[in-house]
Amino acid sequence: MRILRAIILLIITAGFIYVLDNPAGSLPAIGRLLDPVNGCWANAEPVDANFTFDLQLNELHHPVKVWFDDRMIAHVHAADDHDLYYTEGYIHAYFRLWQMDMETRAAAGRVSEVVGGKALKFDRTQRRKGMVYGAENSLQAIEADDRTKEMMDAYTAGVNTYIATLRYRSMPLEYKLMDFEPENWTNLKSALLLKYMADDLTGYTEDIPLTFLRDMLPKGEFDMLFPERLKDSRPVIPAGTAFEAPSLGIPTAPNDSIWWHFKAGSIAGTLHRETEGKGSNNWVLSGAKTKSGAPILCNDPHLGLNLPSLWYEVQLQTPDMNVYGISLPGAPGIVIGFNDSIAWGFTNNYRDVKDFYAIKAIRPGSGDPVAYWYDNKQVPFKVKIEKIAVKDGDTVIDKVNYTVQGPVIYDENFPGPGDIKTPMALCWMAHRGTNELLCLYLLNRAHSYTEFMDAIMHFECPGQNMAYADKAGNIAIWGQGQFINKWKEQGRYIMNGATSTTAWGDLIPMRENPHVLNPAQGFVCSANQTVTDSTYPYWYNGYFYEFRAWRINHVLDSMRAATVEEMFALQNDTYSILAANTLPVMLKYLPADISDAGKAYADELKGWDYRLTPESKAATMYQVWWSYLYAGFWGKRFKNVPESLWPSPELTMEMLQSYLANDTAKTGLQHVADNVKSSYNETVDSLNKLKKAPGLEWYKVKNTTVAHLTKLSAFSYDDLKIGGWENTVNAAKSNHGPSWRMVVQMSKQTEAYGVYPGGQSGNPGSKYYASFLQYWVEGKYYKLLFFPNDTRQDAKQIKYTWTLHP
Amino acid sequence: MRVLISILLIALFSVFAEQHWAWWSIAFIAFLLPLLLNLKPAAAFLAGFGGIGLFWAVTAVVKDNANEHILSQKMAVLFHLPNYFLFIVVTVLIGALVGGLSGLTGSYIRRMF
Repeated sequence: MRILRAIILLIITAGFIYVLDNPAGSLPAIGRLLDPVNGCWANAEPVDANFTFDLQLNELHHPVKVWFDDRMIAHVHAADDHDLYYTEGYIHAYFRLWQMDMETRAAAGRVSEVVGGKALKFDRTQRRKGMVYGAENSLQAIEADDRTKEMMDAYTAGVNTYIATLRYRSMPLEYKLMDFEPENWTNLKSALLLKYMADDLTGYTEDIPLTFLRDMLPKGEFDMLFPERLKDSRPVIPAGTAFEAPSLGIPTAPNDSIWWHFKAGSIAGTLHRETEGKGSNNWVLSGAKTKSGAPILCNDPHLGLNLPSLWYEVQLQTPDMNVYGISLPGAPGIVIGFNDSIAWGFTNNYRDVKDFYAIKAIRPGSGDPVAYWYDNKQVPFKVKIEKIAVKDGDTVIDKVNYTVQGPVIYDENFPGPGDIKTPMALCWMAHRGTNELLCLYLLNRAHSYTEFMDAIMHFECPGQNMAYADKAGNIAIWGQGQFINKWKEQGRYIMNGATSTTAWGDLIPMRENPHVLNPAQGFVCSANQTVTDSTYPYWYNGYFYEFRAWRINHVLDSMRAATVEEMFALQNDTYSILAANTLPVMLKYLPADISDAGKAYADELKGWDYRLTPESKAATMYQVWWSYLYAGFWGKRFKNVPESLWPSPELTMEMLQSYLANDTAKTGLQHVADNVKSSYNETVDSLNKLKKAPGLEWYKVKNTTVAHLTKLSAFSYDDLKIGGWENTVNAAKSNHGPSWRMVVQMSKQTEAYGVYPGGQSGNPGSKYYASFLQYWVEGKYYKLLFFPNDTRQDAKQIKYTWTLHP
Repeated sequence: MRVLISILLIALFSVFAEQHWAWWSIAFIAFLLPLLLNLKPAAAFLAGFGGIGLFWAVTAVVKDNANEHILSQKMAVLFHLPNYFLFIVVTVLIGALVGGLSGLTGSYIRRMF
């Protein structure tokens, strides 16, 4: 009896401990996690933690100093490039390892390995897009150049030195929660991260939906509703800028059947475009327009709002370089920033560099196709076997066929949007072996406009509008990237992949990309709008947005003696061009016989200043009303087509304006008065509901959230009191917005300001995890501490010091 | 008295154990001590429960104070607990239960013979 009693209890105790030490489903191992010594409590970083220490790192050539200021910005001083990038790798891993790991897993389609089968579709999409294929091609290019090879090797070694010190106790919290461990860093992972950015910025495509719409609509209507470029655009390169004659002949469209068509009667109910637009702003004022007489460069790239932040702020010094800005944890160098001579900023260029080819597959009997028709010849697919490991499940094998154009992303085994089962091959600039890292390497060291140009000729994908200012007083902007010399409309729709006549042709020499130096208007500005006017000799299409560019151009046109404070205000500007131009029309057609509640809302709207400020109730009223009105205009015509495929708000606005001017129905919009009335009734109902919860204040309805990469709300910040929307300069949407705001005045002593919605530490248990968030929400800035290039610094400005010995 | 001393000894040895081995090494301490000291079942449970509970409580509270509850508040949300203090309580209870059960097991095994 006693023996039995003891044995039963022993089993219970052992079982209890076993359960506590093992994850169950998505639940972590509770005992291991709660253990105050090694578990999550080990990540509770003391608020007065001392980050000053000496460390021996054998791979260093010379001693390295890392100074941390009171915001925990790392200022690295190294004797050579190797030591610099080795240290940058070590620092990135020290503060951001888990995020680097997850982002590169996401790029490579290896998320299922750590979260299980729910990520399988995502992983398959990444593999079928050819993400690893592209990264491997780029890695070859990176390793073929001595400078970037040394940079990458040193960086990887630095990351791995840190990883080697880790035990369970010192691992980032997320590893403990998700129950996996970091693996060694490789150069390929850094290349994958760069492709992750390329995908984020050039992955968006409208080829499939535009093909559908072209097939669905009469030609005249399609051309009017989906124009290649909006006629009133204020392009990145100011209209009237003279372009050099093209060195390449402009090709003419081939005569054969070059397009693929949707079958008559296909339903587009599952076609979709992304709804979270990716945007960014940058602009530069020449000294003639500033109070100080020195150029001012501003940049706020808009990306997904996540924690840990995508960016890590850092200053890098070697004897021949002194540069400050934001780096991507996972890759060496600085992406956006300034050095002692120049400043630069990026926005997404949005020219289309991703095209689809319909493939005519040949199947032997009943099995999977093994070859395809190309110029009347049978060509076998190159097959890549993708093994996707799944946590707590069997490894999934996917077979991806490659044609001359690229990987077949959709087929019968993996249908595309609109349930397309025709095999679709993807031809994408991001597949090519390009070395953007070399651009960053040279850009970080550039001292003049010539050196800036030499640097950016290595930035091929993702295409960026690159703004420039220097201490000599020059300002410039380039619509930069590697583009193809296309015939008109090439790649705008799905092309016939069975003929070489549709294949991509010559590369446009990058020196012929649209650019302007010191334009007469005294400023340059880009906000994802159309790149050029129609006089640019090469043909291109893209996914351009005009509202923010209209607003910024309008403000800068009349600006004189500008100060940095005015730049802060413009970056945080929430004036809605859409509202200013449409609300008067909407109010004009508002009928008199509306309810009392409806009258009260209308009165508030009449007094509104068109600013989407956080507490504005009129902003909510307008946004709700506009969305109903927009649906009223297009919902019937585009039945079965998702809202994001309707004619753009820019175009709708222009139609409404011309309707008002002529007061006729000839402008393409039907029943304006009826739509205004019925949409207003729906609006009043919605507003009455919103009033009860969450309230009518714009920020409550919008709910801007900076979410942890796992989407765990415990590590996220929601309901942020910030104004704006995608079409205002301060483009803070629900989970997307300004990921870094920077203002740099190129005076004798560089004056720079910046803020990003996060913090330097990736650890949710650190006080530096989201320490900049409130400033970002409030539109405040930190003055950036740009140390002189020296081995000693003013001790008053340094909070902690790492002394790294070889 | 023996229980009190056992609590302190278990806490002390566990501190040492966790510096070198996985978290569940505490179970062996809480198991061995009552077995060697031949504690009665109730006393053994109490010794293990109190010993590990004390060690985990002191460690968690010290770390939490130094951290100004930044982490514990977030973990409380993650565990659907109303406040950080309850997250500390849950932490301590888990450790104490492992200790108590281990102590009881130690005592019973001694009593097998």
